[in-house]
Amino acid sequence: MGEYRTLDHTLIALADPTRRAILGRLAAGEARVTDIAAPFPISLNSVSKHIRLLERADLVRRRKRGREHLLALNPEPLGALAKWTQEQRALWAWRLGELDKVLTEERP
Amino acid sequence: MTTQTSRVVVTHHYAASPERVFDAFLDVQIARRFLFATPTGEMIVAEIEPRVGGRFTFTERRPDMGDVRHVGEYLEIDRPRRLVFTFGVPQFDPRTTTVTVEIQPKGEGCELTLTNDGVPPDYAKRNQEGWTRILAGLQPAYDGVHAAGWL
Repeated sequence: MGEYRTLDHTLIALADPTRRAILGRLAAGEARVTDIAAPFPISLNSVSKHIRLLERADLVRRRKRGREHLLALNPEPLGALAKWTQEQRALWAWRLGELDKVLTEERP
Repeated sequence: MTTQTSRVVVTHHYAASPERVFDAFLDVQIARRFLFATPTGEMIVAEIEPRVGGRFTFTERRPDMGDVRHVGEYLEIDRPRRLVFTFGVPQFDPRTTTVTVEIQPKGEGCELTLTNDGVPPDYAKRNQEGWTRILAGLQPAYDGVHAAGWL
């Protein structure tokens, strides 16, 4: 179930408001780690931990430019989540339609 | 702090009364025909304890996965308006999600809204434009950090 493991990493990464905020920032473009960390009332070390979870989920990729670490958003894992979510919605919609059939059949 | 990541919401209009639609979720003979069904599966176990704190089990035999057992607990039963229950599939994942069913009278029948919380985020579109728009929506959270004077 490697697919679920990947989904789990994506979900864990997205489950925290700080990490979502970091992704929101990176949606606007590549940024330095220190710039990402600046607005948060937590230590650079804590922000680095958040970034590592985002990297584990492959939502964020890092490259070096000289001594700077630059972070960029990678949207690919979101596609897998989108597919999964659409499947869930389709399934519930189908079930509610099935209920409609049952009720219609049983109508006196 | 919530770890909830998002929700799936589905609505459906029924010609039947709110009471009839509501009761279908707690009547095991009706519920087994739709509630945790899939298009190709066969429901082999359906058990319901229709009270707050009561539990249910629905086991479906699926051609591709074998027997899939859904278990859950009723959190709210407010006939005919609102039904809330948890469910999970322990063989795949120890976590549960929450389903809220809300029924409003509408015309001759009713409108049902089903919300499944705790499922992956609703990234409605898979294309780049879609996720950019979604992530742009996260931006206010980041700006809010500034606004709160934490800089």
